[in-house]
Amino acid sequence: MKKSTLKLLACGLVLTTFALTVSCSSDDNKNTDPVNPVTDGRWITVAGALMQTAPGDGNGGTKVYSVSKQDAKNPEFSIDVYEKGTPVQSSRTARLQSSVDGSTLFNITYTGANGGEFMTYKVNGAANFTQSGTTVSIAQYAGTSPRWVKLFDGDKTGVAVNVTAPVIVQDANNAYKYTRGTATVLAVDLQNILISGFKQYEIALSAEEELKGHHIFRLDAPTLNKAGNKLIIGTWMRKTNPATGENEATFERLGSKSIVVDYPSLANPQVITSTVGFGDTSGYRSFNSFVGTDGNIYQATQRDAKNGSYILKINQSNQYDNSYNFSLDTALGVKGSYIDAWRYAGNGIAYAVYTHDGANGQGFVARLDLNAKTAKKVEGIAYDADLDFGQYQGFVVDGNELYIAVTPVGKEGNIYVIDIPTGAVTKGAKLLNKAGNHYIGVF
Amino acid sequence: MRFIAFVFLFVHLSVWSQKGNVTGKVTFSSNETAFGASILVLGTQKFAVADNNGEFEIKGLSYGEYTLEISSFEAKTKTVKFHLNRPSHNINIALEKTNDPKILKEVLVQKTTVKKEIMEKGFSVNVIETQEAAKRNIQTNDLLSQSAGVRVRQNGGLGSSVNYNLNGMSGNSIRIFIDGIPISTYGSSFNLNSIPPALIERIEVYKGVIPAHLADDALGGAINLILKKGAKNSLSASVSYGSFNTVQSNFNTTYRDKSGFTLKGSGFYNYSDNDYEVWGKFVYNILPNGRYNYVRAKRFNDAYRSYGGRVEAGFTDVKWADTFLIGFNVSDDFNEIQHGQSMTKPYKGRFSEADAQVISVNYAKKDFIVKGLEFTVNSVFSQRNEVVNDTVRWNYNWFGEKALGLYGDPILSPTGAQQGARTIQHLDSKIFSTRGGLNYTLNDNHKIVFSSMLYTFGRNQFDELSPLESSFLPTRNLFKNVLSLAYELEAFDSKLRTNIFGKRYEQQTEQRDPSIITENGQNKYIEVISKNTTSFYGYGIATSYFVVPKVMASLSAEKAIRLPSENEIFGNPGENLTGNNSLKPEQSDNLNVGLRFGPYKIDNHKFTVGGSGFWRNSKDKIVRQFSNRLNEALQTSPAVNLGNAQSIGYEAALEYSYNSKLFVSMNMSKFNSLFKDKYDNNGNILPYYNQQLPNEPYFTVNGNVQYNFKNIVQKNSELNLYYNFGYVGEFYTTWLEIDKTTAQFPHDLGLSYTFPGKKFIVSFDAKNITDEQVYDNFAVQKPGRAFYMKLNYIINKF
Repeated sequence: MKKSTLKLLACGLVLTTFALTVSCSSDDNKNTDPVNPVTDGRWITVAGALMQTAPGDGNGGTKVYSVSKQDAKNPEFSIDVYEKGTPVQSSRTARLQSSVDGSTLFNITYTGANGGEFMTYKVNGAANFTQSGTTVSIAQYAGTSPRWVKLFDGDKTGVAVNVTAPVIVQDANNAYKYTRGTATVLAVDLQNILISGFKQYEIALSAEEELKGHHIFRLDAPTLNKAGNKLIIGTWMRKTNPATGENEATFERLGSKSIVVDYPSLANPQVITSTVGFGDTSGYRSFNSFVGTDGNIYQATQRDAKNGSYILKINQSNQYDNSYNFSLDTALGVKGSYIDAWRYAGNGIAYAVYTHDGANGQGFVARLDLNAKTAKKVEGIAYDADLDFGQYQGFVVDGNELYIAVTPVGKEGNIYVIDIPTGAVTKGAKLLNKAGNHYIGVF
Repeated sequence: MRFIAFVFLFVHLSVWSQKGNVTGKVTFSSNETAFGASILVLGTQKFAVADNNGEFEIKGLSYGEYTLEISSFEAKTKTVKFHLNRPSHNINIALEKTNDPKILKEVLVQKTTVKKEIMEKGFSVNVIETQEAAKRNIQTNDLLSQSAGVRVRQNGGLGSSVNYNLNGMSGNSIRIFIDGIPISTYGSSFNLNSIPPALIERIEVYKGVIPAHLADDALGGAINLILKKGAKNSLSASVSYGSFNTVQSNFNTTYRDKSGFTLKGSGFYNYSDNDYEVWGKFVYNILPNGRYNYVRAKRFNDAYRSYGGRVEAGFTDVKWADTFLIGFNVSDDFNEIQHGQSMTKPYKGRFSEADAQVISVNYAKKDFIVKGLEFTVNSVFSQRNEVVNDTVRWNYNWFGEKALGLYGDPILSPTGAQQGARTIQHLDSKIFSTRGGLNYTLNDNHKIVFSSMLYTFGRNQFDELSPLESSFLPTRNLFKNVLSLAYELEAFDSKLRTNIFGKRYEQQTEQRDPSIITENGQNKYIEVISKNTTSFYGYGIATSYFVVPKVMASLSAEKAIRLPSENEIFGNPGENLTGNNSLKPEQSDNLNVGLRFGPYKIDNHKFTVGGSGFWRNSKDKIVRQFSNRLNEALQTSPAVNLGNAQSIGYEAALEYSYNSKLFVSMNMSKFNSLFKDKYDNNGNILPYYNQQLPNEPYFTVNGNVQYNFKNIVQKNSELNLYYNFGYVGEFYTTWLEIDKTTAQFPHDLGLSYTFPGKKFIVSFDAKNITDEQVYDNFAVQKPGRAFYMKLNYIINKF
């Protein structure tokens, strides 16, 4: 008797879950509006990084080529950015961003004689890109290898950040006091190609943290909050050994930190600290946090070898929501997960490119559900031992579709188009490659 | 191998044929001895110079008919025929004295002797003579860059940092020596920027294949400066002034009394503001909103000052020593640094200071213990210090003003100071370097050369601005020993010369890392010592053959190496470089082949033409291991043996003179430096395989014309006019071939006037007369049009 009740209960649970799932998806199906706005006739620009001396180093410069959405989705169509593309200004991998409608590329050159120079390219299809007549240099404020992203404010503003080389300060008795650099936060007017504002300040941690040698080494990946009155800036932490003055290779990490500054004044820096995640919040070469549909900011972490990457939540009061605990290791069932780049795709869904311990640096794509705190490796993509998303920068989100470029170093690959509501993967245009090179994104 | 067997076969033949010596005495008709007259056996490469008593000896001539050509600057050239049919033949020759001293010819005769001897050994070598340049407003680096196959890449004007490229090889693979001692012993204050040509006897540039006596791990080539050696009583001094407030002065004196006691002294002082104008694509002031304002501006943080002195005392030409000199050398320099790798960010207040104190002992003796054994030893101890100072925290524009930000305030520099973090970095080094040589001449045909070079280097560094960190920086010691053995052979009346050599390199490095450990709750200071030893063998050959008396073919080849540097072995935390003690040396197979015709004389025309081809194939190049997810804050990566490269090319030189009045010389060099890493991990051919490396000038042409007038204003005076150009072909600066430099073609003019009595020489030089923008490095402009005036004073006998 008892048994059958249990069976019935289990059966009921399964059915309920099923019904819920069905009702959920039927909800989506009923709602014919796409998750994100659609731009008709949007260009899809692919960018490829060239090797310099070692395969995959991406230091030989960057080339771009643009195709229509139809061509990008067509697996019979081939794109060869290295033979047919146009080089963009940069002696190493360019730091590219694109306007939401794909009509403009924003570029800041990275290192070299003209490092730190901002310019735009009008996308005209194929290899036809028109460089803006004016360029501006942010090098005096943010250096020749600046870290920057554009804000999601209608493509009006880009924000670059920098920290000067942190310096050890001792007290009157020559005892270690703290290590600090001077931070710069700078706004670029993307439309008029001008620097529109900047601030420079030292950012202190708590006295206790500083005395142990913790300090902010770099800033990166600023994000504008929903209210549009604060910027949340990711940090990259380092630790000095207070006894020897040397930087420590391994150390016990503090809770993940971000800097919150007023916007648009860029003033009043405040440090916020998570008790959930311990990794850096800087990302690498592209966005690392996004305002979700629910108005909260979701932020990825890196470089926490012990716990792997987390997705952290910053609420609309601009504080970490420590009740939100989303470990990628737990969700994916791996150890030492590491998010190289990711992109919010609407309705609590995001896509991340990542690697993990034991994968020999191989990259994978995961679908993340930020509300359910679940993640799943995306199947239907041709994974390869030489696939490495370490320098990956660009996803395109257009309507219900997310575009991603997948090429192992030195091998052919494809654009993949993922249907955001269902997660269905479609193989798109073929990406022709050359030995040592890899594609770093779609824009 | 077959070639060597062939060589030995013929050696035997020539050794078996009967041989004799010619001795004699050369006098002027007045019975005055003809000191310095040269005696050449026509049709062979044998020659001798008459000594103080007018006597000479030429050994090892096969029996037969010969003609001697005797020339002296004080007499008419004479030829004498004789038949050699006994072991020793004595000839006395009387020359007819002329009243018209041909100073220039004397210079030429002396030139050919040393230069010829080096050139004819079969190495690919430039011998640069400084005699003419010393009178003019020419720097040592200018002289080098005018010679074939040498590209000097300087980051601006006088005193700025220099990189040398020899036949496509550069950087760490080129070693520079002063009298065979590595130049690092003398520090940055005594280098090719500061030593004036007047203190240099000659410069030897060995390309690819390095003779045994210069033993060092010079993978791509070596530049050896021979300082003035003369033991005649003389005094010379000069001072030059010109554009950009440039002063260059020096003196050099030698005194020798009859007992052989010799005292030598020399000194130099150089100063320049280097405030030349720069303009163009890379020279702009950045407005507060980020826009550019292109300007023409004078460099404002580029002054350079160096001075140094050298005293040597001892004995020369005495029974127990040909040379025994103890020397003391001090030098000091101050160098402002205007910018880094490109001109786009001007610096203010960044400078370096260096000084060195060097003690040296020199001993040389021919017929040491036994006849035919020559012993030389040169020991040098130096203490050198260097400070790099960069503490100014603001950005500056090209007008030397603080760059202002959007709100009218100065902007803090994004790195903390001008180039990087704020620093007052001290580097103190103690170096002991010894070069010893034993040459044993078995007979005229066989010679054995043994050479040993020891180099020990200890370094301490600290940063005044981070005292805590500095007290925990490692101490580095390096010990290097290179042994080489060479066998030199001359055969067929000196038509064939061959030099086979082997070298053994050994390097030990030691690092002491201070650290703190906690034991029973107590902090304890300990030192962790790590050591490393690398040893390696190399070998090579150089050979020349006179097909006919005026046509020389040469070939040289070497398996050359470069030992890994201490940073590459132990790592450098400042550069996030971790140690790798299994690093092998870089290796390169180098080959040169050459052909030289001349000198031919047709009436008053005299010319020499030569050309050579070269090939360098280097592997196991030491490069930084690449990692994508490299966390620059925490993780580090080691250096590994990975890269391959190849350089292949040719050079040619032409020398022409007319009636000892017009002298023309030209040379050109063209090479391809190719990327030789062929496959990626999956066996696919890399896109840049076999492509030209970007940012390397690869086509250059240099030309010089000199015209000599005699008795032009005053009787017994001399006027020389000079013209010189240096053409550098265009080249791409990146792999993507977006940016290309323009071809460069600057011209220089000069004149020098020697007053009657030969004591005073005045010279005037105009450089880059068309005020062209010239670059050695991409985006770094060198000085434009400039004028210099120089006064030389020389007394040769007192």
